[in-house]
Amino acid sequence: MATILDIQHVSKFFGGLAANSDVSFSMEQGMIMGLIGPNGAGKTTLFNCITGYYPPSKGEVLFKGVKTNGMQPDQVCRLGMVRTWQKVRPLAKLTVLDNVVVGALARTASLKVARDIAHEQLRIVRMDGKAGFLAGGLPIGERKKLEVARVLATQPELVLLDEVMGGLNPAESEEIIQLILELKKRGLTQMVIEHDMKAIMRISDRIVVLNSGEKLAEGGPREIADNPEVISAYLGERVE
Amino acid sequence: MPRRPSPSVAPRGSAALGLVAFLAVVAAFAVFPQFVRKPYVLHMGVVLFLAIVQGQAWNVIGGYAGQYSVGHAAYFGIGAYTTTMLLELNKIPPWWGIWAAIAAAVLVSIVIGSITFRLRGPYFVLASISVTEIIRLAALYFKGFTRGAEGFLLSEIPALKIGGAEIEFYTKRPFYFAALALAVITVGVNWLVEHSKLGYYFQAIREDQDAAHSLGINLAFYKNVALAISAAFTAWAGGFYAMFVKFIDPNTVFGLDVSVQFVLICIIGGIGTILGPVIGAMVLVPLSEVLRNPKGLVQLGLLSSDSRFVQFVEEHLSNAHMLVYGILVVIVILFAPDGVVGLIRSGVARLRRRASARERAQAATTT
Amino acid sequence: MNVFVQSVISGILVGGVYALIGIGLTIIFGVMRVINFAHGDLLMLGMYATWLVFTKLGIDPFVSIVITAPLLFLFGAFLQRVFINRVLNALPQNQILLTIGLGLVMSNSVMLAFTSDYRILTTSYSSSSFHVGGISVSQPLLYAFLITAAITAALYWFLMSTDTGQAIRATAQDRDAAQLMGINVRAMSVLAFGLGSALAATAGALISPTYYIFPQVGSTFTLKAFVIVVLGGMGSVVGATLGGLIIGVTESLAAVYIATGLKELVVFVLFLALLLFKPAGLLGKTRA
Repeated sequence: MATILDIQHVSKFFGGLAANSDVSFSMEQGMIMGLIGPNGAGKTTLFNCITGYYPPSKGEVLFKGVKTNGMQPDQVCRLGMVRTWQKVRPLAKLTVLDNVVVGALARTASLKVARDIAHEQLRIVRMDGKAGFLAGGLPIGERKKLEVARVLATQPELVLLDEVMGGLNPAESEEIIQLILELKKRGLTQMVIEHDMKAIMRISDRIVVLNSGEKLAEGGPREIADNPEVISAYLGERVE
Repeated sequence: MPRRPSPSVAPRGSAALGLVAFLAVVAAFAVFPQFVRKPYVLHMGVVLFLAIVQGQAWNVIGGYAGQYSVGHAAYFGIGAYTTTMLLELNKIPPWWGIWAAIAAAVLVSIVIGSITFRLRGPYFVLASISVTEIIRLAALYFKGFTRGAEGFLLSEIPALKIGGAEIEFYTKRPFYFAALALAVITVGVNWLVEHSKLGYYFQAIREDQDAAHSLGINLAFYKNVALAISAAFTAWAGGFYAMFVKFIDPNTVFGLDVSVQFVLICIIGGIGTILGPVIGAMVLVPLSEVLRNPKGLVQLGLLSSDSRFVQFVEEHLSNAHMLVYGILVVIVILFAPDGVVGLIRSGVARLRRRASARERAQAATTT
Repeated sequence: MNVFVQSVISGILVGGVYALIGIGLTIIFGVMRVINFAHGDLLMLGMYATWLVFTKLGIDPFVSIVITAPLLFLFGAFLQRVFINRVLNALPQNQILLTIGLGLVMSNSVMLAFTSDYRILTTSYSSSSFHVGGISVSQPLLYAFLITAAITAALYWFLMSTDTGQAIRATAQDRDAAQLMGINVRAMSVLAFGLGSALAATAGALISPTYYIFPQVGSTFTLKAFVIVVLGGMGSVVGATLGGLIIGVTESLAAVYIATGLKELVVFVLFLALLLFKPAGLLGKTRA
């Protein structure tokens, strides 16, 4: 399997604070990588560095072999890597459909084609019935699904999901889990930040654990669950 | 759950209906001068159409892209001065000069945009004001170039020869039709923008810049495109204004109150909509004219010449139009931030909800 | 050399008054995060109030501050309670438009009431100056500066040493935290706007013997106040103080060494540069 993302010695400093410190790992095409760690470990910071929201202070990010540090988020998106936001960002005054159309327009200038793509993505996340609703009026579960549909419309190869299950009830979370697995079947590569350990264990092929900005551990779900350092830093107890 | 028809899900009929209504209104305006020949009425028509152009132009950058420039007088003034100076100093007629004016404004807008667009929210507003103040103060100071506070007095506009016909620009009639055409074009451009990739991208930028950025939208580029379109039409209005009024000076065309007026036309009518600036213009222009020139109502035959209203306004409220603008802005921001169009929309939504609630109640009682 | 020193001194004297305007604006921004575009018009109201008191009651403009400042404090509190409070959670653009609207109402009401005629307030010492070592120091400006210094000192004492003052600073630092600690943040907002208005009006009173008084005089001062506040750092009282002095001196030097007609332009160019390269200003925290 080809390496799609290669993170090499990435560090990010804010003044004196090292939000990310010498983080390295890589991802193969089609896999699901779980990214876990306590709050403030630097997970979202890493997402921000990878996608160009801000550049890393040190290190390199290689996406499909192309060096992306220093690129702007829109360039990264066009290359094929997108992210969702921990705090959802719906385009509130636009409809659900129009939100996804904005994503689809990354690949086409035709509104008709964009709308078709948008409808398709909404069907995948099972929100096609709400196409005409204003995004600002949606409850949190649907906002999260909308955000996923929106990034899918950009036809990405790698999707970074930032706590997409945060604030959802078990039924909604299960829907998202099924969605993630479905997307994997379609060939999409995904990196998932989550606090829901059961979910992460179920979906991840590999897991990276961050703590205080540093990579604490990397391995398969079982390895990580049994890792005593991870348990003491984050899990608290063994996860079955 | 609130539901709002958007261009993508509204029934096809409503778009066609809107177009028919629009054409009917335009036709009415076009035919109007056949029946009413008073120059004052035609004058008011020109002022109204120009206000519509100014509002629609600002709407592209302020309403769709969400960047509240309170310095648009810069482009208005550049349009006015370029057209005027080319005519007065180089004898270039305005129908050619206006293109230079538009080009100049667009160039300046790219410079201003590249400087100011990295700022957000209120800082952007402040920067936009500062830039225009710099231009105004420079225009006042460099008298050798712009004649400073003395201003430019236009001597006369040559006649336009098309085919065998000759159109004079001495009376108000040709201005009326030219202004109407300009207003129609601007509304049309706004409609095209709203229903294109540009429109979607502008609105995405307005709603959430960072989200838009991560979805593949080059913020700097699209903001500049919005500003360029906006500047072009604002400059066009400026050049037109200069030809119509035949006198310009830095404070009249670069002033902060001019910039504020552009914003007001949109805010009062409803920003981010096509109808908004039209309604805003229709509210502000008559209002300001009645206050500025109450005798105009007499000229129109609406009031008699010894009307107490006219006397009162003349004595106590002359030039109070800015006061009324201020009051209107306060009222709109506090009670109707989406303007008149917003009020109408929420009123319609409320009626719809009541109707469907009644339907449901009826259905419940009949089963 | 003399010209330079003279210029700097005049600049400092005017700068003191500028500082007062800036401090008022920065307190309002600090506590409410509202950008008050009507600030210069509050100053204008102070000028007119002073002029009225002077022409009708014969009270010296510097003395009448004890009347005009409390008056404008109440007016500012009223504005906050009735208007500003409703938009504290609205888009910043809408907040700005609201204050622009209020400013328009203020300046145009005054224009209707008093006409656009330029008024001047001439006291016995309006054109007098002290001469110290070859430098001429304008008397009214010197008095204004001394009063400003006294007011600023009193303000610092109020903000640092009194409970209410500390409550205001707490609200400015973190509104939510302040509320959780039992501070009535709504009252603080009213207080802040009242205080800001009173300071603006006081500045107006202080410059009334030396500036033309007319309804539109506010807009120049509003923009200047913003330059000062951004320069010093939005929300920083010390910053606004420094900023006022710096702008006063810059303007004065620009008038002498570049051209009088360009001195305002220079300030705006500086402002743009500030916004672009150091929006946090000298002492502020970046909250753009």
